[in-house]
Amino acid sequence: MAHQAHAYHMVDPSPWPLTGAIGALLLTSGTAIWFHFHSTILASLGLVLTLLTMYQWWRDIVREGTFQGHHTPPVQKGLRYGMILFITSEVFFFAGFFWAFYHSSLAPTPELGGCWPPTGITALDPFEVPLLNTAVLLASGVTVTWAHHSLMEGERKQAIQSLTLTVLLGLYFTALQAMEYYEAPFTIADGVYGSTFFVATGFHGLHVIIGSTFLAVCLIRQIKYHFTSNHHFGFEAAAWYWHFVDVVWLFLYVSIYWWGS
Amino acid sequence: MTARLLLRSAVRVVSSRRLFPAQAAVRGMAAGGIPTDEEQATGLEKVLLNATKKGTDPYSMFKPKEYAGSKEDPHLVPSIANKRIVGCVCEEDNTAIVWFWLHQGPGQRCPSCGAHYKLVPHELPH
Repeated sequence: MAHQAHAYHMVDPSPWPLTGAIGALLLTSGTAIWFHFHSTILASLGLVLTLLTMYQWWRDIVREGTFQGHHTPPVQKGLRYGMILFITSEVFFFAGFFWAFYHSSLAPTPELGGCWPPTGITALDPFEVPLLNTAVLLASGVTVTWAHHSLMEGERKQAIQSLTLTVLLGLYFTALQAMEYYEAPFTIADGVYGSTFFVATGFHGLHVIIGSTFLAVCLIRQIKYHFTSNHHFGFEAAAWYWHFVDVVWLFLYVSIYWWGS
Repeated sequence: MTARLLLRSAVRVVSSRRLFPAQAAVRGMAAGGIPTDEEQATGLEKVLLNATKKGTDPYSMFKPKEYAGSKEDPHLVPSIANKRIVGCVCEEDNTAIVWFWLHQGPGQRCPSCGAHYKLVPHELPH
């Protein structure tokens, strides 16, 4: 950065794109091998390499942003655009599953009995655990906003408490979903109902786990004084992501759990 | 027995805490313990923060200033070297840009429209 005439971040060469690409290849081919030949060696190797890459790449970004001061206002703007584009792509990812669900449920085929839920499927009661899950996620949206305002107002104690509460609500949601899956009277192999239900809610659950991890990393960084009252984009990105996951759940709840039962 | 030992050591720990209160790490105590950019920004981020406070623009982030382009009010072109390539649009609807080297000195004119340009030295903080 010694003599640059601009405020952008010229990144250093990094091994992580390469190890990430190798990790992703091993993970996908390893999963295929696991499904076909019941050997988990390659998939485990891919998982370990992917996790190591994720950890070290993000650690490097924290170092560049917080400890080396590379995340200037124009760089932060670029990170904002990047996160917005990423979440937009996630919206389309879920749009595909909703399309599959509505395609199958709006005009149920004769094989299903011409009705939805299909003949023989007992759907989950939307006013039991799924309603609690809705409340849990909405509450976590409130606590994450509380954390953000505490951060901006310089209230360290409240920021840590509210962020902890948000992570705990995320974990509670995951636990409730795990219980629902365990007790569900249908499986992913029970025709198009099971497929659409478990693929849509399963990917949402995965995103809740990712969002909780993202928020937990922010909590650790908050405890370690990484965020200033003005510069805390890592936290904002986590909050945006969390709200996205929250909104997806509302659509899942209204469509699949409520209307679909 | 074990419970009593545990209780006794717990009491000891609590009472010793009271005698020697632990020094809490003091950092960024502007308000409630969260640092501000002024306290914690570093590197290029800090350079920019200070420049913004002084109203200077070392990294050309502001909108370019406008000049008449006349002899009295030439286009001032900041440069970190002794010459810089300039693109003159001449008239606002033109689609072909006239490119030329602007050298250090009393000033030059666009070879097409005759607008006045002058190179001014630009210091980089480092």
